[in-house]
Amino acid sequence: MHETLVQVRGMSKEFKRSTGEKFFAVKDVDLDIRRGEIFSLLGPNGAGKTTLISMISGLLTPTQGDALIGGHSITKEPISAKRLLGVVPQEIALYPQLSARQNLDFFGKMYGMGTADRTQRIDQVLNLIDLKERQHDKVESFSGGMKRRVNIGIGLLHQPQLIYMDEPTVGIDPQNRRRVLDTVLRLRQEMGMTVLYTSHLMEEVQELSDRVAIIDHGEVIALGTVGELIQKVGEEDRLVFNVGDQTVPDALLERFKAEIPGVTSATYTRKAVSGEEAATDNDTEVSTDGVVTVFAKRGRSALPDIIRIANEGGVNVLSVEVREPDLEAVFLHLTGRALRD
Amino acid sequence: MLSKLWAITWKDLYSTFTDRNLILIMIVTPLALATIIGVAFSSFIRGGNDVPVRDIPVAVVNLDEGAEANGTPINNGDIFVNLLVPPENVDESTEDNPLFDLTNAVQVADAETARAAVDSGDYTAAIIIPANFSAKLTYSQEHSIEPVEVEVYASASSPTAASIIRSIAESFANQIATGNITIQSTIEALIVRAQSDPAFGVLFAAASASGSFTPDFAPAFTPGENPITIEQQTVTGQAATFNPLILVGAGQAVFFMMFTAMGSANSVLEERRDGTLNRLMASPTPRYLILLGKLLGTLVICIVQVTALLLALTLIGSLLVGQLQFLWGSNLLALAAVVVAVSLAATGLGSVVAALVRTPEQGNIVGGVISMAMGVLGGAFISTDVFPEAIQSFSRLTINYWGTDAFSRLSQNQTDISTNLLALLGIGIVLFSIGLAIFNRRLNV
Repeated sequence: MHETLVQVRGMSKEFKRSTGEKFFAVKDVDLDIRRGEIFSLLGPNGAGKTTLISMISGLLTPTQGDALIGGHSITKEPISAKRLLGVVPQEIALYPQLSARQNLDFFGKMYGMGTADRTQRIDQVLNLIDLKERQHDKVESFSGGMKRRVNIGIGLLHQPQLIYMDEPTVGIDPQNRRRVLDTVLRLRQEMGMTVLYTSHLMEEVQELSDRVAIIDHGEVIALGTVGELIQKVGEEDRLVFNVGDQTVPDALLERFKAEIPGVTSATYTRKAVSGEEAATDNDTEVSTDGVVTVFAKRGRSALPDIIRIANEGGVNVLSVEVREPDLEAVFLHLTGRALRD
Repeated sequence: MLSKLWAITWKDLYSTFTDRNLILIMIVTPLALATIIGVAFSSFIRGGNDVPVRDIPVAVVNLDEGAEANGTPINNGDIFVNLLVPPENVDESTEDNPLFDLTNAVQVADAETARAAVDSGDYTAAIIIPANFSAKLTYSQEHSIEPVEVEVYASASSPTAASIIRSIAESFANQIATGNITIQSTIEALIVRAQSDPAFGVLFAAASASGSFTPDFAPAFTPGENPITIEQQTVTGQAATFNPLILVGAGQAVFFMMFTAMGSANSVLEERRDGTLNRLMASPTPRYLILLGKLLGTLVICIVQVTALLLALTLIGSLLVGQLQFLWGSNLLALAAVVVAVSLAATGLGSVVAALVRTPEQGNIVGGVISMAMGVLGGAFISTDVFPEAIQSFSRLTINYWGTDAFSRLSQNQTDISTNLLALLGIGIVLFSIGLAIFNRRLNV
């Protein structure tokens, strides 16, 4: 039986646009986050991840609903709830004129840490984020990756039971990104910390998470382990065929489904060469490529038959990409859109 | 809670005072400006420490009809006239009365003529002694001393000179009242003793009847001889002088402090933009404490800046005259109160501006415009004395006016700064509370 650290019930947030029109950025979300797990919120930009996490951490007041952190209501007992929570915001929320140590010291005071405890923890955190050597340098002199590490260090300082990390790898190079991901894994493995992680990068979420909630238009549309979510698309492979400027008739797509065992769907779209979808029919100036997407169980075995039928239909396949089931496919399956769209 | 409050304040103080550019703007720039203007006036300063205020034109109207005390006619109004108006055919330069240098007093027959002459600018002020002046102030066994008003009709266009004349009038009035109270007390004491000691009573009656009891009460009415010399220094001493560095320096100190207050209060918006405010609000720290800490930081920064500027101006003033002299008067407690009050008022205004605008950039623009407008209206560049009366009314709405005026008064050892303190503290507390409330509401989303 897993112990629940965070309970989110019926949480909604309504905003008003400049036109006066009201809309829900988060709508009626229920979540349980278990103690000691890495729980990720996955969704495209603007899906409502940051709004949800801001309500859970007490920065935004929910229009409806509540969240309990370690049994403390974030709306009714915010101070008690916030003591259990560490925060790593998306932006570099540091004081550039202060040194790394001074930043840690200041936020340690804000969490009510005593002098001796603070000094000891700052040393531990500086070791963890590998910035002991530069602890007395002003943060404004740091690289982006170093600042990110201090940003994370502040969230860890008071040894919270839950740490939320909002897109912590945005804008950093691959080496520092790897470092951040390793740190997140160590938090769970070595310190038993519960991590609430948000990202729009499927690869990160897939690598880190024990469980994932996929969020779109403010609503949780799927929740489970990565394996459980992939099962939702039936463990199908996704085959993507580039056919250039050739048009693929619907009859050919129907033949893929009818004649090849395991093929469940086949669609044809035109995509801009840059990778964006062709906008409209009257947008004829945009250079586009035709793309056929086929979902199939055991996709690699279906590949020769698909190419053969395409050739018989007068369509030459220019390139093929086989993607095994992943969270991107789950999102596509659930919303009809790609995560990066 | 207090340790968190101080941590937020200290963080802002540290960030501000370790920023060389900020120090340059906050301290060095106003000092340089004040020094340049001060040096422009240095011929006055080097010449005799201060620019003397001389020959203030005053009309004295003595309507006092006099009174009789124990059979002797007296006219207290004449005391006023004799002290202010030099006797005819007397060379002022040889006369040992500093008031004759300070004022150019002329006796005028009626009050209306005197008021009209003040209105037309012929006189800075008119001192009008009422008809019942002596009657009210004279003690007899049938009549006790009563309050009486001496009218000082002063020109609004020369507040400093008018203030000096008002001080002189107050001082004389106090002197005369003190003298009469002395007489009253002495006679009452003698009567009480005569009633309780028959032998003394007989002796006292005999001395009075023979005319050998002739007590000399003159010292009670003579400034300088009476130990109770109320406000006497104001009349003949430092109040009658003025140092241009004081007026310019005080104006510049308040002017630049206003910019600091606006900028520092604006840092709440900068923290919001940079995400550090959200990070603070996600910590177990009440929202009001975070805002209070930020505004307390602004207040302390303003206090430090003004104090540093006042001290530095003293140093510059001392260097210019070649000897150490403290420019801001002898009442350090009142000086500290003005520094705190003016800083609080500026912080309050800064907090309201920061609470009403949306971005730090907007805050910088709006704060800059307000600081500049208040500086011009409040006398940071030109004395408000030269403004038309209508504009002077607007000057009184500025923090700069009340602050600069208070510093100038203190430098002249005047103690009447209660209105200034009241205005500044009022502005500060009201605006500070409004700013805090609006901000708290804006953050509660």
